[in-house]
Amino acid sequence: MITLHEVSKTYRLGKGSVVNAVCNVSLEVPRGEFLVITGRSGSGKTTLLNLAAGLTQPTQGQVLLGGAEIWRLADREQSALRNRTIGFVFQFPSLMPSLTALENVRLPATFEASGRGNGSAARAAELLELVGLPEKAGSYPRQLSAGQQQRVVVARSLINRPELLLADEPTSDLDEKTEIEIMSLFRDIHLTMGVTIVMVTHTSQLICYGTRAIEMAAGTIRT
Amino acid sequence: MSLLSLTWRNIRGNAFRSWVVFLCALVVAGFALSTTLIMRGAENSLRLALARLGADIVVVPEGSESKVETALLMGTPATVWMPQENMQKISAVPGVAVASPQLYLSTLHDASCCTVPDMFLVAYDPATDFTIQPWLKRRFGNDLKLGEAVGGTHIFVPPGEQNIKLYGYFVSLKGNLEPTGTGLDQSLFFTFDTARDMARISHTRAERALQIMPDSISAVLVKVVPGTKPQDVALGILHAVPGVTPIESPNMFQAYRKQMAGLLKTTLALLTITWALSVVLLGLVFSMAANERRREIGVLRALGARREYVFKSLLAEAVLLALAGGAAGIALGAFTIFLFRNLLISSLGIPFLFPSAAPLLVLVGGGLVVALVSVTTAALVPAYRISHQDPALAMRE
Amino acid sequence: MKIVGVILIALAIVIAVVPQFLDCQSQGRAITLADGRLIPMKCHWTAVAEIALGVPLVGLGALLALSKRRETRRALGVVGAMLGAFAILLPAALIGVCAMNEMLCNSVMQPTLILAGTLVMVISLGAFGFSFGGKEVEPA
Repeated sequence: MITLHEVSKTYRLGKGSVVNAVCNVSLEVPRGEFLVITGRSGSGKTTLLNLAAGLTQPTQGQVLLGGAEIWRLADREQSALRNRTIGFVFQFPSLMPSLTALENVRLPATFEASGRGNGSAARAAELLELVGLPEKAGSYPRQLSAGQQQRVVVARSLINRPELLLADEPTSDLDEKTEIEIMSLFRDIHLTMGVTIVMVTHTSQLICYGTRAIEMAAGTIRT
Repeated sequence: MSLLSLTWRNIRGNAFRSWVVFLCALVVAGFALSTTLIMRGAENSLRLALARLGADIVVVPEGSESKVETALLMGTPATVWMPQENMQKISAVPGVAVASPQLYLSTLHDASCCTVPDMFLVAYDPATDFTIQPWLKRRFGNDLKLGEAVGGTHIFVPPGEQNIKLYGYFVSLKGNLEPTGTGLDQSLFFTFDTARDMARISHTRAERALQIMPDSISAVLVKVVPGTKPQDVALGILHAVPGVTPIESPNMFQAYRKQMAGLLKTTLALLTITWALSVVLLGLVFSMAANERRREIGVLRALGARREYVFKSLLAEAVLLALAGGAAGIALGAFTIFLFRNLLISSLGIPFLFPSAAPLLVLVGGGLVVALVSVTTAALVPAYRISHQDPALAMRE
Repeated sequence: MKIVGVILIALAIVIAVVPQFLDCQSQGRAITLADGRLIPMKCHWTAVAEIALGVPLVGLGALLALSKRRETRRALGVVGAMLGAFAILLPAALIGVCAMNEMLCNSVMQPTLILAGTLVMVISLGAFGFSFGGKEVEPA
């Protein structure tokens, strides 16, 4: 599903200083896997996830998504690939504040090249039911709790029936009960829909949800 | 969800930012339209006044040019005299096709014998006139009789009365001329015979008699032979007739033209400063907005929105707000100028006539273009930068 | 809505107060009757009548600023638009001002009232329109 081949990412800060966020990492994530990436803050795990998603260009190395080398594609094709292949769950509140829950769930479908998300309203309603929020379809993000917002984000991530779900610390701002609810959702999605999941977390207790776990430290994978 | 509806939601989502952009566009467009409307209205007015006069050359007593121009443009009465024999001399100048004399008179100030104080009266010779007569023939099929008059667009018979009283003499208002936006709109026109009749009656019926200098006229309107240069005829008149100044039609109202040119320079300078400040403010607002929405845009890109989509969405917001603000500014500007046109004329001392539909539409279009260009110029760079930013970088704290 | 209410109050003050300084009475002009008595010109009565519109408009602006209920704002919007319309009609048709262009009541007072009345109408109708959108806020 995802192949990272000798990938590095370096950030240049002011006054000539440089940060090596990821150093020469090679990683393969086969289809159907639930990979958990752990590590301390600043270990490079979020950067690794962003590299895998094509959200940031590597300084060195290759990134292949579904067999296609992302950075050889034009922006149009890259965006289309991300749109139909990947669902995202971010750490921060990522819903559009001016759209309702239903409209937020439908949003990725409107970027789909063919048809402006025709039929996505019904699917969005189904997904809101899946995450247990059918009655909140007309609510705006400011009217939802943090846990409810994150569940809407999970529903949004599935609207285009992606093969891959990338989650960056999805439960870090949530209480324990809600964390368990979200992780149960992920497990259901992995098992019933066959979606490949790559999740970044600094909570080691969540490793048990995955089929494989790796640890990042100082920009490399700890063996 | 279409680009347009997402754009509308984003506009509603941040009321403060949207109102700032809207108001900037309103001010820029409104100011641009108002200034161009005033200049256009003044030019329009001058053009119509010259057309109303219909003359290639206006001959006035030497030294009275500005008095006569003020009377014609602003309606401030002027009484000037020159010998009637000048009429024959002028007619004899080579190149003169028609010459028609006029008398310039005025009603009394605060006198019960006159229903309208300080009104500019113009008496013409029906035998030679070529300005009022053609209009009378078109409108009524005949000339003015004794005791009849036509007025500029603002002349009316006082309510409850049948006629206008001038020096105790009752004049019947036959009709009103089309507006010019100048003093001609507040003037009354009648024949020489009516003027002399009025002067005769005024001795017994008015507080002060109407004085018409014997064997005198106030001005002569000249039409030149087609193909002749008015400049040459004017020079001929200057040489043949001492004590007069011939004013060629294009040179008429020079003092006002200079005043308008000065006004134009000042307003253009103000307009440029306002525009520049607005664009700078808008640039800051859009930069701040782009920064504020950096993370949101990073998310959109992650979800599959192309750079082009994000760029278009940000510009669409700018364009919608520019159009709305511009339209509101134009409507407000045009409406205010229309309402306060009389105050404009008296305070700026220039003639003004609100343009008709077609030229007004051109000005409106111009104002909208100014608003659009200003807002989109300010939005372009921030929109481009944010839409081309690395999504991961955009989403970082 | 608070800002809208404040703007309406400002316009109401313009409508009620400004004509008092622009009518012919304030410029020292009046009609002299045959018996020598002086009576005010009609622009003066227009100015007086505008006070009767301005005062309720101030109250309306205050209520709009404080009101949280959509139904109340809708009703206030309708009433505000009507008051704005009458602020225009008084100088333009119902009573009127002097006919001569150069008189202050004609060149300044009447246009000011028409402009202020138009703005009152637009803002009130805007408040009416916007009261249909958004979430109802429960009264305290």
